[in-house]
Amino acid sequence: MSHSAASPTGNNSARRVSNAHRLLRAFVLAGACWVLSTPLTTVAGSTAAFLGCLLACLWIDSRTGTAVFKLRSLALLAGLVILTALVSSVANLLTRQPFLAQWLGAMPAFQLGQLLFWLVLAASVGLLLRLYARRHSWGSVPELLFVTCAFVISLAAHQRGMIDRPYFIGDFALIRGMDPSNILMGVGVAAVLTLTVLLMLEGNQRRLPYHFSVLALVCLSLLLYVQTFGMPTPQMTDDLGLTGQGAGGGSQSENPFRDGDNDANDREAPVAIVLFRDDYEPENGAYYFRESAYSEFNGTLLWTAERDDLDVDLVEQFPASEVSVSEHIPAQDMRRSVTTTIGLLTPHRSPFGLEAPVRFEPAPNPNSLRFTQTYTVESLVPQFEFPDLIGRRAGSPDWTVAQWEQYLAMPDDPRYGEFAEHLVSNMREGFEDDPYAKALAVKAWLDDNGIYSLENQHAYATDPAASFLFGDVTGYCVHFAYAATYMYRSLGIPARVGIGYSVPADNRAGGSALLIQAIHGHAWPEIYLDGLGWVIVDPTPSRTLVDMSSEPQDSLQQMLADMLRDDASFQGFLEQQSQTSELPSFRQLLTALLIAAATLIILAWLVRLWRAQCPAWTPASDHYRVQFRAALDTLASVGVRRRRGESREAFARRYAAQFPALHQLTQWHLQQVPGYAWSPQGSLALAGKSVSGHAMSNADWNGLRRQLAAEISQAVPRWRRLLGTIHPAPWYYTH
Amino acid sequence: MDTQGSELETSAPLSAAQTVLQQLKQAVKAQVIGRDEVIDLTLIALMADGHVLLEDFPGSGKTTLAKALGEAIIDDNKGPAAIAEQPPIVPFRRIQFTPDLLPSDVTGSSVFDANANTFHFRYGPLFAHVVLADEINRTSPKVQSAMLEAMGEKQVTVDNVTYKLDSLFFVIATQNPLDLVGTYPLPTPQLDRFLFKITMAHIDRDAELQVLDTWQQRRDHSQEAVKVSRSDILAARRSIDEQVHIAQAIKTALVDISRRLRDDERVLQGNSTRSLVLILPALQVLATLRGRAYVSAEDLETLLPHVLAHRVELAPGIADFNKVLRDCMREPMEQLARSTLKKATATTA
Repeated sequence: MSHSAASPTGNNSARRVSNAHRLLRAFVLAGACWVLSTPLTTVAGSTAAFLGCLLACLWIDSRTGTAVFKLRSLALLAGLVILTALVSSVANLLTRQPFLAQWLGAMPAFQLGQLLFWLVLAASVGLLLRLYARRHSWGSVPELLFVTCAFVISLAAHQRGMIDRPYFIGDFALIRGMDPSNILMGVGVAAVLTLTVLLMLEGNQRRLPYHFSVLALVCLSLLLYVQTFGMPTPQMTDDLGLTGQGAGGGSQSENPFRDGDNDANDREAPVAIVLFRDDYEPENGAYYFRESAYSEFNGTLLWTAERDDLDVDLVEQFPASEVSVSEHIPAQDMRRSVTTTIGLLTPHRSPFGLEAPVRFEPAPNPNSLRFTQTYTVESLVPQFEFPDLIGRRAGSPDWTVAQWEQYLAMPDDPRYGEFAEHLVSNMREGFEDDPYAKALAVKAWLDDNGIYSLENQHAYATDPAASFLFGDVTGYCVHFAYAATYMYRSLGIPARVGIGYSVPADNRAGGSALLIQAIHGHAWPEIYLDGLGWVIVDPTPSRTLVDMSSEPQDSLQQMLADMLRDDASFQGFLEQQSQTSELPSFRQLLTALLIAAATLIILAWLVRLWRAQCPAWTPASDHYRVQFRAALDTLASVGVRRRRGESREAFARRYAAQFPALHQLTQWHLQQVPGYAWSPQGSLALAGKSVSGHAMSNADWNGLRRQLAAEISQAVPRWRRLLGTIHPAPWYYTH
Repeated sequence: MDTQGSELETSAPLSAAQTVLQQLKQAVKAQVIGRDEVIDLTLIALMADGHVLLEDFPGSGKTTLAKALGEAIIDDNKGPAAIAEQPPIVPFRRIQFTPDLLPSDVTGSSVFDANANTFHFRYGPLFAHVVLADEINRTSPKVQSAMLEAMGEKQVTVDNVTYKLDSLFFVIATQNPLDLVGTYPLPTPQLDRFLFKITMAHIDRDAELQVLDTWQQRRDHSQEAVKVSRSDILAARRSIDEQVHIAQAIKTALVDISRRLRDDERVLQGNSTRSLVLILPALQVLATLRGRAYVSAEDLETLLPHVLAHRVELAPGIADFNKVLRDCMREPMEQLARSTLKKATATTA
């Protein structure tokens, strides 16, 4: 009887569930439509897109045999495209036709056009997606892709290290002093959940635990990856060999001319953040951060010096403790000490610092997921005036012959010397032999005649620098740097190619932080002047074929700096923020929720444990109750539960085939309930054996419960039992 | 269940009542196949001193059922009253109700005896243990009311003389659910006299096959079935009445359910208090039939649809009484089930 009664309600609820599914799916698709349309249209348009998709999905899902289903997919596709085109032209008409626009007013006409167009477009998209999903087994894939696209496109700006983007999230978080990555994580979780829900709507309900376990596994492995290897950093091109990622590779990667072009997409990617502990504004309008230098001529081109006596002012390894090279920097009275803290966002081969770094020191890393390396560097930045530079001798008298040879070595190409001599031939009186003046002359020629371009690499010439200089004079920084260095050397001035980053001084925007981006990677020529050390003489071509200017990323710069600082003032600022907002912060709320949930689960577990064990110490007169309750708890944990309003006997009968012991337990229980099977006054003579309610011993009960447990292990699948053992509150379902 | 002596001398042990029930059931089951639920309900009505109304198609075994039940009962009424004016009681009578039937055709009538120059009463077909009132809705209200008086009061009154019917008097009335043209449908108050209204469906395939397989055998051996004496049945009635316990919680649930039913907006007229009184013995019999000495929740689940279906008038447009009843039963039944797990402090009061 109970079975026949249950079936119609079962069907009913199934239908209701599928209705809810439909609604949920329609909402997800409509939401995706809304997200995708928002940047392209007005509020009216995006609302229309949402509604159109929602209605179309709901309509098509509530039909089974409409004429739409009789159409071929292609015909329908074509029809919808034509319809959309028609509506689009109608929308155009609304705005183009003067009399219509006059009659409606300009804005309403435009809004109406947008509304119509997006309504029809979104409806067509929804219709097509749902139709394909219902027709083909693969049909849900486009649907999933569509929703994924919505998430991906709306978050697309958040890539290549632009952790403050998209701005609608970044600004929202920064204003409140939060790390936007929390919100982005939340969006990511929402995306995963949405896609899972969409996936599960298609699938079988019984696979739900498997879906969830796979999802959990994927999320956990992602977490594990991030914890172990850190956040994925943008793959910068290994321009100039700065990052060291190509080190040790083939000869190709050791050629700075061949991998020197920036991938246009990677240009803006942040590389490092620099915090200035001292105020410093460079005189020539750019901050130079030297990482390394090419000074040793290896037969074909200049390369990193392998000899110990060259470039002693450079530090090759990241410091584990304080490293000082100050003894190699001359003219310290004409320099200023500037301390900076640098956080690297991508791995680098060597530490870099402002122009003349003298002291490197590791700094605590406040966010090891974000920064690959943090260190403090003290630089002695030159404050040379022009008179200081003039009248110096090139090179150092302390150098050995070998050092002199190395710093003057160059390709065996007479043209460099001839051309350089030609350039310095008509110097003004008194400056003919001045090395700095000669260098400036060479630089001036390159400034005037060089053309900056990323396209012409001269990479496959034997000597790219010669190909550049004696060819079209079109190239980028590496070409200019090498050409200038060779010419300096040909004039007898010791020179090398410095590599690192050069950032426009404006980018600091008055703050104390400076963001270094991939686009700032640079190579420049330096000459050695006696008593002053290495001096940068950097040609800057006045003509350029590419736009190498980059937008200053002020908010990103500020955010990364705040992260790197992570000092008391920032913490104080955050605390002040959370105090003024009165509401507990998201993190506090989350922690409180987590603690509350954990406490609840533990409490529930304790209750479960107590209810399972309490028959051991309760008096015999209560066994009918606690023993039966314990048995019901066991059943409830594996999902065997009495329906609402169902009698105990009907419940036992429903499971009579699987759990015969339940029937016996129910009989015993009911027979011993005071006042139910016997009057407490005991005036009735009963046919049963257990009149008083105390006839069953604890051993009887335990035996029957053991039998029930055996039946459960036989009838219930293993995974269900496993879930049952960890269920904290099966007693919630026991009444 | 082991047999245990009764403490009370007035009634036989409950096990004896169970034996009587089992014997009757066997006797009827030997003749009627595939109708176990109907047989159970009929036996319950018999033991609970009620009557049943069968709604069924012709040829579905109603007569066989009634006849088998009547013939399973032996009349052993040999008390002192037998010497006096004791009506001759037969095990089974069948009355086919037609529009032109008169009350006296049912109850009996006074006939003038020319030899003795007196009237003497000729007993009608009601003077039997089991009466099959076939197509009771085909006869006029006059006959119906005479019939219903007999059922309610266990007596007939003819020419202002009241004649007692047998205390075992049990009516199985039938009506055809389809051919309603020219009938006098029983109004709800009259339906109230029947303990159960049982709507029968066609028996299933296997049972029908079995009917065809065994019909000769059943025809030839109908007399050899187990018999139960009338006094045994009356004794069983008494012991069930006295010994089967009805918990307070059960009565509470009964009252709650009927109150909910009356308050439900889908119900025009709820069930009477009499129906609640009538159902108690039926619950006791069912409990005995199930081998219990107490009424339990499942007995309510089984009997309530049959007891209440014909006593409740539904609002126009509502067809499914069982759904209404299920909705009204859910909460009280849940309370009833939960009460057994609660600490036993309040129940003793």
